[in-house]
Amino acid sequence: MFFEKIANLIADYKEMDVKDIREDSLLQEDLELDSLDTVELMMSIEHAFNNISIELDGEVKTVGDVVRLVEKQVNHAE
Amino acid sequence: MLNSPICKMLGIQYPVFQGGMAWIADAKLAAAVSNAGGLGIISAMNADADYLRGQIKKARELTDKPIGVNVMLMSPHAQEAAQVICEEKVEVVTTGAGLPTKFMPAWIKAGVKVIPVVPSTGIAKMVERAGATAVIAEGGESGGHVGDLTTMTLVPQVCDAVKIPVLAAGGIGDGRGMAAAFMLGAIGVQCGTCFLLAKECDVHENYKKRVIAAKDIDTIVTGKRLGHPVRVLKNSFAREFFRMEYDSSISNEEIEKFGTGALRMAAKEGDEQKGSFMAGQISGMLKEEKTASQIILDMVSQAEQLLKGASAWVK
Repeated sequence: MFFEKIANLIADYKEMDVKDIREDSLLQEDLELDSLDTVELMMSIEHAFNNISIELDGEVKTVGDVVRLVEKQVNHAE
Repeated sequence: MLNSPICKMLGIQYPVFQGGMAWIADAKLAAAVSNAGGLGIISAMNADADYLRGQIKKARELTDKPIGVNVMLMSPHAQEAAQVICEEKVEVVTTGAGLPTKFMPAWIKAGVKVIPVVPSTGIAKMVERAGATAVIAEGGESGGHVGDLTTMTLVPQVCDAVKIPVLAAGGIGDGRGMAAAFMLGAIGVQCGTCFLLAKECDVHENYKKRVIAAKDIDTIVTGKRLGHPVRVLKNSFAREFFRMEYDSSISNEEIEKFGTGALRMAAKEGDEQKGSFMAGQISGMLKEEKTASQIILDMVSQAEQLLKGASAWVK
């Protein structure tokens, strides 16, 4: 459920087909998201998940990494 | 006198920061700027903790005014630099080339004011949320690592995006630039290239000569292909780097290797062929060496005159 929602947000942001986004897609290399795009995307994800707070660090490289961060924050908020 | 809240917040006389230029912004330059009433900033660059601690201690011997340290977040020593800043109780930390949020809780707890350099409204909002005291919105006119947005477009948008104070950087080299920054909503400025020409700046004389000789069109942005664009003065190194980026038979690793150590070669050895002379687009306007104090006083007094006279445009 988290993956689908996040993949849709990325697809909207990048104006691309959601089918091309996988858990192991690399944000930078595969999805061509630079550091500024990543921050913007995180803010839209935070908003979509009831304003959770995501702290980005150098470990976030794939869509799966984002999904796990969001899951952790949502579970923590609950 | 130009009055800005950032002066009171930081205990400085003039709202002028000296940018944390790697291999250039050392204790001597930072202390000179702080003694002149601005905020002098030491670059932690890619150096280890011992280097940074030594520079901070040296600056403390040269000035009793507040100083700052710039942390280049891509540095392999960023973590230890962050720790030294806490231990040495540096008044201000500025950051560049990344998101500083993971270091911010420790800095804030240690009483260090965190003022990140930001290239976008999103990053400005993120560091504001993490407790930043202010942000420096730096446009791509600057030297060294650059973003896409210009100072003219970035500063007002960052001012609208955050509630904390905003300083402007990128392309500011005199009182006209400073006055314009205030008109855009900034309450202070950060300048790098003009402090390259401070008499107290020990960068190699060839570096200073190249900045003084530069015309308006003499900088180029390299490194876009590698994801970290850098503005430099055109020379044989910069032209070759640029050419390599457009040659698909050359790997990114080869290009990285070609650029390694080039800034040091420019700043310390003055190597005009192999050195990377990072400098901003304002270079074309800078024509002489001055003391740090004179740079600040000239800039601030010109800005004051212009801001006072601005009402003449409104009938």
